[in-house]
Amino acid sequence: MKKSLFIAAVAAALLMSGCSQKKPEVDMTKQETTETTAPAATEVDTGVNSVVGTEESAGEITTLPEDERMAKIKELEASAKKIYFDFDKYNIRPDQEPRVDEDAQLFASDAAKDLTIKIEGNCDEWGTDEYNYALGLRRAKTVRDALAIKGIEESRMVMVSYGESNPVCTEHTRECWAKNRRVEFELLP
Amino acid sequence: MRFFLILFMGVALFASDATLEIVKSTDNRPSVAIQDASEFGNIRIRQKFFRLVMGDLKVTAHFKVDDRYRESDYDAMIDPLLKDKDYLFRYRFREDGEQRLYLDAKVLDLSSGSPVFERSYRVANRARYPFLIHRAVIDFNDYLQMPSVEWMRRYVVFSQYGKPKSADIIVADYTLTYRKKIISGGLNIFPKWADKNQRGIYYTKLGNRPVLYYYNIYTGEERRVITSDGMLVCSDVSRDGKKLLLTMAPDGQPDIYRYDIETGKRERLTFYSGIDVSAQFTGSERKIVFVSDRLGYPNIFVKRVGDRAVQQLVYHGKNNNACSVHGKYVIYTSRESDNAFSSNTFNLYLVSTESDYIRRLTASGINQFPKFSPDGESVIYIKHYASQSALGIIRLNYNEGFLFPLKGHKIQSIDW
Repeated sequence: MKKSLFIAAVAAALLMSGCSQKKPEVDMTKQETTETTAPAATEVDTGVNSVVGTEESAGEITTLPEDERMAKIKELEASAKKIYFDFDKYNIRPDQEPRVDEDAQLFASDAAKDLTIKIEGNCDEWGTDEYNYALGLRRAKTVRDALAIKGIEESRMVMVSYGESNPVCTEHTRECWAKNRRVEFELLP
Repeated sequence: MRFFLILFMGVALFASDATLEIVKSTDNRPSVAIQDASEFGNIRIRQKFFRLVMGDLKVTAHFKVDDRYRESDYDAMIDPLLKDKDYLFRYRFREDGEQRLYLDAKVLDLSSGSPVFERSYRVANRARYPFLIHRAVIDFNDYLQMPSVEWMRRYVVFSQYGKPKSADIIVADYTLTYRKKIISGGLNIFPKWADKNQRGIYYTKLGNRPVLYYYNIYTGEERRVITSDGMLVCSDVSRDGKKLLLTMAPDGQPDIYRYDIETGKRERLTFYSGIDVSAQFTGSERKIVFVSDRLGYPNIFVKRVGDRAVQQLVYHGKNNNACSVHGKYVIYTSRESDNAFSSNTFNLYLVSTESDYIRRLTASGINQFPKFSPDGESVIYIKHYASQSALGIIRLNYNEGFLFPLKGHKIQSIDW
């Protein structure tokens, strides 16, 4: 008798777990219709909670190979040197040339040689309208041409200008504007 | 007699050139006092409405407007103290049960004491109150047969920066008081009206590669027009709406192209190895005015479409990097010095493609994004001064300027 009661309880628990999997869908529609009230958290583990047994740890949560690759690309990207420009200019300053050399070496390295290089030109807040976007683009082009001379294939490089839309520094100071007049890189698989 | 005739002709000719500043004129414009009889809103809201009524009346430049905020009943007797004015503009905001906002406006001739103009206006929601005021002022102005201020009804479209690499496109009334976001998500820049009736815009969406879109503001229909490497901006649209002037940069080289909407054919118009941008039609659309750094610094140039020769248009300033064109007139922004850190950085100037005169339009602050009104008689621009921003209107023929305070994020680009 006790055994049959136990089986019935387990069966009921399993049935409940079956029902509970559908619950989130029901609750989703509810959330849509009652936007103003804070949605109650939907419990998703009520089913598994009722299963008798001992949970085993699956060990470390591992990343997928694709994530690892992206992480490596982001690491490479972070090690690329930004190239800074003078006010209203798009020629590479002598003090920036060693940085361009370092970037060329990095992009030619085994780790990076299969990646596409997106060269992003940026400006300070002082230009207006289209001219500032063109200035950012010419900065990107100067850097692309310099990298091409240093052996990076042009077909690997794409350029885009963000004008004044992508500041790294938003204070209204001379130092801050100098930081924003830059070319930076994004590496794409 | 002949002397007077020549003198008169001289004055008439001078008056027809907007680059010449009117230094002194006798102010014989009708004077207007304003009274608020609103049944809507608290005192803060009422004063906000009042400032816009006063602003609109002043921007016409056709009236001497009394700044004082006065309250009254809508049907009250005329205050004898106002008898020295010509007109009394009395208005009343009220709301009905369905939250529609009404504006009743009447104008009383103070010499006779009788009402000469009375109208009522309505909008479906209170956020649109600026349109009530613009409409009432346009009608009052027309009633007195003053030169048209119909441009007050036009929309302004602008792009506004949010977080880095992100900008939204917003449609607004000419004072930027009413705003409606029409495009968001990503970096949406350089909106440009696609037709004179303001039904659609062209704008650039900048992702990995810039794409030019057409967007109908009434139906939400969106169409991809063209894409280019590096940079793509629609800087002008022909009067018939069929041809666009584009800045495109295949291989990172910004140049000006003319694009035919119907055939999809594009024609390169500039061939300089530096920067050529911001092209606008002039001279019956056979010429273009544009910004170029071909002298080593940004300046304004003009060329005939199809010719190789380029002519320098502005011989003043060392950094003129934006312009707006209407017929033979060009307004440009000029950085006054290479010192970007003084308070007086950018000013606006007006020149004519047919004369050598230069007229300075602003005197202080950072003045950017000048745009002509469609009739060429007014200019809209953004002014930053002493950490405040404002939308400026200059009435060229009246030599008068007005500012409406602005709040919010940094503006990327504007079109009127």
